[in-house]
Amino acid sequence: MAATSGGSEPDSDGASGSAAGATSAVQQESGELLSEVARLRRQARSARHAYWFPLVIFGVLTCASVPFYIQGPARGGAFRIGLGYPFALGGLPGLGGGSHLAYYWLAAIAVGLTLTGLWYRRHGRKVGVVTPSRGYLITGAVLVVLSLLPWLFLELGHSFLILMPGDLFIRGTFPLVIIALGFWMLAWAERSWALLAIVAVYTASALLASLYNIENVLFRLGWHPAGSQWRLTALPNVLLPALVLLIAGAGAFLVQRRAPRLT
Amino acid sequence: MSAAAGQDPGDVGRDGAAAVPEPPDRQHPTNGLDETVHQRHRLGILTITAEAKSAEFGYLREALGLTAGNLSRHLTVLEEAGLVQVTKGYQGRRPRTWVRITGEGRTALAKELAALTELLRRHGPADEDEQAAERA
Repeated sequence: MAATSGGSEPDSDGASGSAAGATSAVQQESGELLSEVARLRRQARSARHAYWFPLVIFGVLTCASVPFYIQGPARGGAFRIGLGYPFALGGLPGLGGGSHLAYYWLAAIAVGLTLTGLWYRRHGRKVGVVTPSRGYLITGAVLVVLSLLPWLFLELGHSFLILMPGDLFIRGTFPLVIIALGFWMLAWAERSWALLAIVAVYTASALLASLYNIENVLFRLGWHPAGSQWRLTALPNVLLPALVLLIAGAGAFLVQRRAPRLT
Repeated sequence: MSAAAGQDPGDVGRDGAAAVPEPPDRQHPTNGLDETVHQRHRLGILTITAEAKSAEFGYLREALGLTAGNLSRHLTVLEEAGLVQVTKGYQGRRPRTWVRITGEGRTALAKELAALTELLRRHGPADEDEQAAERA
């Protein structure tokens, strides 16, 4: 596999022919090596792809949050910013959020990230190629910590105005945006276009859930909550992103379950 | 460690005059080929390990279709060149050897792939047409 040296000028037909032959050999060898590199790269990526698990686990954790979004009886009184809990994670009470929801998401994201880290470690040992998932785990943890800062600042008595996207917080679905942002890092770590497409759809659904009452769409489609059903009107905002994760996770599982096991 | 090494300071031309090194952008792409990396199986090892945090010896052996002894020899060459790190350990009772690419290894791989791509580009179909015209 010696490399040819370039630069010598052919001065006869024979030399010209041999130079052309050498050029052709170099070209063929380079093409073969690059094809082999592409094949090995695809094979390694395919073996280490295991993102069905985080999709399913966060889908399940989102479904498990449903009881916290069922609204209680309406109470009078004004809301106070700095509600005594991490409101970026829990939203505002009366709009489907509250302190229980905030602490649920704090614990759920920690559990989800931990299980995902353990999953990638186990999968890597099984197939023999380990996905670099640390960036994803760190991103998730950092985002959670950042989401606590507005509450911590207010609790510590800092009265300066904190510029924050309040519209994203009020419905208590901001944790879904945090999960989505973490998944962008995972798509990069997995080097997967399929996961990137899934994450784009999930991010859109998480932003929609945080900025809009999806109940309005269902109302136009014929769902007219009556009686105690009004307490469920925040649920479409939670169930839509959960559905995206569970369907995508199930599809990914079907594709990835045949990963070769290391002997 | 270049296969077609760049000119050494002591190189002289045909007429005895000191050879003037070509500027980097005009050098032939073979100058970018590194013999350590250019070998097919070692290029494969670097490619796989660059795709993962680390790769296990057994996976590399199966993916590259090598015997354990052959793979060990290639890994030794790469490790001595500082392109990979080899870590031995146990998974339960089974001994496992994990291979991780170094920063230097990533740079060498990128350089090799760039040189191969450039070679293909230079000696592509247009170049063949020119040579055919010359022969005619």
